[in-house]
Amino acid sequence: MTTVVEPRTERPKKGPVNGAPIKARRYRPSGWRAVNYLLALGLVSLYLFPLLFPCNRALKEPAEFVKNPSGITQGVALHNFLDAWQAGGFGALLLNSVVYAFVCATLGTFLSLLIAFPVARGYVRWSRTIGVLFVLALFLPNVLVTQFQLILQLGLYNSRLGYMLLLTSGLGVGPLLIISYLRSLPKELDEAAAMDGCGYFRFIWTFVVPLCKPVLTTVFILQTIAIWNDIIGATIYLSSPALKTISQGLFAFQGQNGNNQWALLSAATLIVAAPLIIVYLVFQRFFISGAVDGAIK
Amino acid sequence: MQLSPGATAPRSLSRDLKRKATGNINPFAFSRRGRVAPWIGIAPGLLLFIIFALVPAIGIAFLSFTNISGIPNVPWQWTGLENYVRFFGSGSSAANLAVVFRTLVFGFSVTVILNIFALLSAILLKNNIWGATVFRAIIFMPVVLGVTVVGLIWSLFFNPTGGPAASLWAMFDSSSAFLGDPRLAFSLIIFVQIWMSLGYSMMIYHAGLMVIPSDLYEAATVDGATAFQRFRHVTVPMIAPATTVNVLISIVGSLQTYQIIFVLTGNRPTTSVLAMQIFSVGFGGASEQGYASAISMIQFVLISFITLVALRYLRKKETQL
Repeated sequence: MTTVVEPRTERPKKGPVNGAPIKARRYRPSGWRAVNYLLALGLVSLYLFPLLFPCNRALKEPAEFVKNPSGITQGVALHNFLDAWQAGGFGALLLNSVVYAFVCATLGTFLSLLIAFPVARGYVRWSRTIGVLFVLALFLPNVLVTQFQLILQLGLYNSRLGYMLLLTSGLGVGPLLIISYLRSLPKELDEAAAMDGCGYFRFIWTFVVPLCKPVLTTVFILQTIAIWNDIIGATIYLSSPALKTISQGLFAFQGQNGNNQWALLSAATLIVAAPLIIVYLVFQRFFISGAVDGAIK
Repeated sequence: MQLSPGATAPRSLSRDLKRKATGNINPFAFSRRGRVAPWIGIAPGLLLFIIFALVPAIGIAFLSFTNISGIPNVPWQWTGLENYVRFFGSGSSAANLAVVFRTLVFGFSVTVILNIFALLSAILLKNNIWGATVFRAIIFMPVVLGVTVVGLIWSLFFNPTGGPAASLWAMFDSSSAFLGDPRLAFSLIIFVQIWMSLGYSMMIYHAGLMVIPSDLYEAATVDGATAFQRFRHVTVPMIAPATTVNVLISIVGSLQTYQIIFVLTGNRPTTSVLAMQIFSVGFGGASEQGYASAISMIQFVLISFITLVALRYLRKKETQL
């Protein structure tokens, strides 16, 4: 590979050129800047306040809560988290949700990639049809009823397998995001690898997966969020308590404690949100660009 | 919004596929294994998708002509158009039309307000403001938390006894039941839906803004364009593709969503939309899934019609600008 180094043109960065002072590139009155900052801060506080408010509330001692429900917390009542954890039985629910989310999002991401790669490259017949199919899927009718009948007929009602099959099959925008990302990957890579005797699946595993890390991360996170929050599906398909998910648990917890135990309910909300926040913070760099670039291209 | 926020612009994708699909030879096809390998890879995902998404979508049309119920082993019959007659017919038509109307109000107000605010916030939080990246990440947060957590945060917030909103109201010697108030509840749901989706739409607009060459703004400034004129004659036309994607995502998303309504108020006649009806008719007490399928079809026709009209309009605008 050769890189062409462009000759640097002599261009002084600062200071007067030919004795004439450089004007500010774009004149912007400082008053407008202040207004911009004020608007931006206002907008962000519209988000920060509701997001931080459960944190504040979750840390309040019950006695303090009665006196001053909305003020900033005085103490740090970490026992609220423990109490909520035990009262809501979040341990088992968390385990269920982690299994559902991890297994189904991982599978879903790889299945999406395996569909997207040959379709993006046009290596199979009907590539276009398959791609269009996934676009159409976004506009299909609400399939709640028929999916339920199907699961019922298959005898998979109230089983982990049935629920997880449904979650995995909900590939959503996954294949589409990966297809549009794969355009940036040169095709010569495939040819060179094939020439060197690399097999198809080995090529995907050792070259495409590492190169597609950003978009794969995005698809994985999007599916994890969807599965973590799937309260309707869990309500419909899982009736026995041993299979239920953490979102369902949170919702039920609200039903029981919504009118009095606000500190506990806030703590429970944070418990449910925490794994998603961690995943987001870890992968944030990839995530936003991956989620948005696919939509634009 | 089940977080499937996101979609790919259908046009660019099909254009892309058209280009890619013609005359591409699979370099791995030198062996028989290499020829079938792509299909082996595609098969599991595609089969799952066909069995659990495509076939059910077609099946909905058939079930809408039956009186099938959600209770196993109950015999069912073909009932022709009965479900549709029931939806639009005498007895409950007023209530049903109110639901259709509310669905349209929800979709329209979410789409319009969301897109206006998303574009304005994207412009506001362009990189020329200190901390813009962090600000955008904060606004994106609800997308990550998803519908259940967001729903709970807001129902705590709007709690009539002791929530911050109630304290704020109390300052003005006023009180409200918020989500319990039938006149207010639906507006609050619209607000929460917009609050929740703003981050995603804003990011799409942001990505669109980033690719506008700055020369255009400079040229406009040199020609004496005011800030508003620059917005109207540079930003708006240049951002049109992002607008199309965003508007379509919001229309389809807002007309299909009901999870946020389920979490915030449950199924109540004053806040119900078509999608909520499908769930409550199909899985509520009587579990009338044939009727629920008919409502699915009605919703589908409505969404397809609105999406196609919007798509045509946006495309026309895009080429005009």
